[in-house]
Amino acid sequence: MITINNIVKSYRNVAVVNIPSLEFREGELIGLVGNNGAGKTTLFRLLLDLVRADKGEILSRQHNVAVTEDWKSYTAAYLDEGFLIHYLTPEEYFYFIGKLHHLSKADVDEFLAGFEAFFDGSILKSGKFIRDLSKGNQFKVGIAACLLQKPEVLVLDEPFANLDPSSQMRLVKMLKELAIRKKMIVLVSSHDLNHVTDVCHRILLMERGRIIKDIDTTADTLQELETYFQV
Amino acid sequence: MTGVRRYNRLFYVKIFHPLRIYSYFDPVKLFLSFMTLTLLSHQWKSFWRGRGVAKSLAMQIFLGFLILYLLLSCLFLGFSLGHFLHSWYPKQDPIRIYCGLILYYFALDVIMRFIFQELPVISVQPYLIQDIRRRQLVTYLNARSLFHFLNLLPLFIFLPFIFTNITPAYGAAAATAFTLSILLLTCFNHFGMLYVIRKAYLNTWWLVGFVVAVAAFAALDYFHLLSASAFSAFLFMNMLGKPWLVLVPLLLAALTFLNNRRFLLNNLYLEELSKKDGNKRSAEYTWLQQWGMAGELIGLDIKLILRNKRPRSVASISLIFLVYGLIFYRPIYLVPFKFAMLLFPAIFMTGLFIINYGQFAFAWQSSSFDGLLTSNLPVAEYIKGKLFLFSSASTIAFVVTSLYGFIDWRILPIQMAAWLYNLGLNSMLTLWFATYSYKGLDLTKSATFNYQGIGASTWLYALAAMLIPFAIFLPFFFSGYPWAGIAALGIVGLISFLFRGWWIEFLTKQFYKRKHLILQGFREK
Repeated sequence: MITINNIVKSYRNVAVVNIPSLEFREGELIGLVGNNGAGKTTLFRLLLDLVRADKGEILSRQHNVAVTEDWKSYTAAYLDEGFLIHYLTPEEYFYFIGKLHHLSKADVDEFLAGFEAFFDGSILKSGKFIRDLSKGNQFKVGIAACLLQKPEVLVLDEPFANLDPSSQMRLVKMLKELAIRKKMIVLVSSHDLNHVTDVCHRILLMERGRIIKDIDTTADTLQELETYFQV
Repeated sequence: MTGVRRYNRLFYVKIFHPLRIYSYFDPVKLFLSFMTLTLLSHQWKSFWRGRGVAKSLAMQIFLGFLILYLLLSCLFLGFSLGHFLHSWYPKQDPIRIYCGLILYYFALDVIMRFIFQELPVISVQPYLIQDIRRRQLVTYLNARSLFHFLNLLPLFIFLPFIFTNITPAYGAAAATAFTLSILLLTCFNHFGMLYVIRKAYLNTWWLVGFVVAVAAFAALDYFHLLSASAFSAFLFMNMLGKPWLVLVPLLLAALTFLNNRRFLLNNLYLEELSKKDGNKRSAEYTWLQQWGMAGELIGLDIKLILRNKRPRSVASISLIFLVYGLIFYRPIYLVPFKFAMLLFPAIFMTGLFIINYGQFAFAWQSSSFDGLLTSNLPVAEYIKGKLFLFSSASTIAFVVTSLYGFIDWRILPIQMAAWLYNLGLNSMLTLWFATYSYKGLDLTKSATFNYQGIGASTWLYALAAMLIPFAIFLPFFFSGYPWAGIAALGIVGLISFLFRGWWIEFLTKQFYKRKHLILQGFREK
């Protein structure tokens, strides 16, 4: 369980994230929507202790993420290319991440075999460093590396933005399965309202750092969101 | 027969046709065109607004002084050369000796260019699809490449001597022709090397060929099979006697310029000018696995060094400086009261990698730092890995430089003390310092004259790292016990090394204190 208490983060006296209280429970698939600058990515960064909160705390299983490192062992995230190591080949990167979770090369290979369709032949044995891959393929590497860690908390920033349509569908399927079967907490931000309402059980709408809507997804949710984003 | 004559006539008509002749001045015209100037002004902006440029005023002033100092040194060399030559070889004509040296300068110039010259390729990318003629872009590329300190250097080194010695002896005409020849030969080197570097960039065999050729010439000269100095003296003395010979360098310069231009015109596609992506293979360093996680992290650092331009040049500089001892370890210094002179190279050689690479221990990985810090890797473990890397590098340098022991065995204990200091204290201090560097680095840029991520503190640190051992050594030295000073340095290093557990804990805490500042800085880049 992740608990957010009174968290505030400001840049130049403007609150980018300001959330009095929020909770994520196991088995929840949460979608974060909002226009650019709403504070989605900053919230994720706070969650991963990549930026320091001005006020408040985020507890992951009752431990403050800014104090202990325990959360690292069960949390996986991919926000942007900064999460990859650019001068490695995809294989080397997977083995490195695997090693951090005490997985042998054989374990990693076995895991990657399940990603053959997702990778579509353009990642493994491609003869490229990660920095030479296209943005979409880098993203696939990032997602696969996340799942390789068998995380219990998964954070993905705009996972649908750079993927081709088939991969988007596959990802949707994977995420749905994972949250239900493995009792994970999955946090996804997206601008794609269709996908988000399709995948997520719960949707948080952010505006200028605040959560202005916290809704359980129903058949009307898409309509509701579209009305909000109407120009 | 008639056919041949006709062909010749046609050819003659063709190359001397008025329109054709006019087109020969195309490069010159384009050189001075408005477009070239606009593009150059963009380049100027991109230089000053680039991330690699020292941002603070203090830093710019410091760099300004550094450059001024270098140029003045060259100028001084230029002016005093005549005097030196005269006092070293009183019986010979200084001008002849001088002429004998010129070819060595150009040989050195070729090597320097190979190391320092960069290809201004990527900068044309945004212009390729604009309504600008390819010829103009190529002219711009050529013009832009001329702005290089290696092209400025000959002015400072050669002109003074020409003024002070050659003009009085041979007259103004010969001196002018001589100056022109030097400048044209610089152009010849410049455009010739641009072509070679470009070729070597695309095809590694050119690189191999180049190195073999240079080594072969160096060997021939070294074993007196072929005297470059005699040849050089012959060439340039003739030049002084017959000023019209300036046409030869002119022709050479024009040929390389046109060749370069032709190559660029035919290959103005980014994929053809930038490196062909060879097949990248995964590497596995199984021998590192015996050290567990620390070994794994070292493997990561090794890949970082081998696969990225800037860390690669930093590491190779550290390697090159292993021969530094050849300059300093001379019999004249091998007396106890000059030990201070020996300690410096010893520290420098065994610690250069730590100082150079270690200062940016975290910044090297700035582009993947978010990922590293959210991965299942305790920070203490990460820091341990870095320290392990430093001590390995220093130890390797120590082992290699032990060869200097053949010069004099007393060099060994001095180097050992320096090594212990680097291992035990310098590593820790450098990493401590690294937790204060909040600037990310772009790995793809080369290291020379790249000040990205470098602040005034960086220079101060490099200075401090060099001075601390002297602070330990000099008190003993001045009280007349140089060997005790050496021993003290070694002991301090050793004790500090034994406390490395404490150091790791301390460094982890320090890192945590500034973790978010580091992360923020790295993201901004």
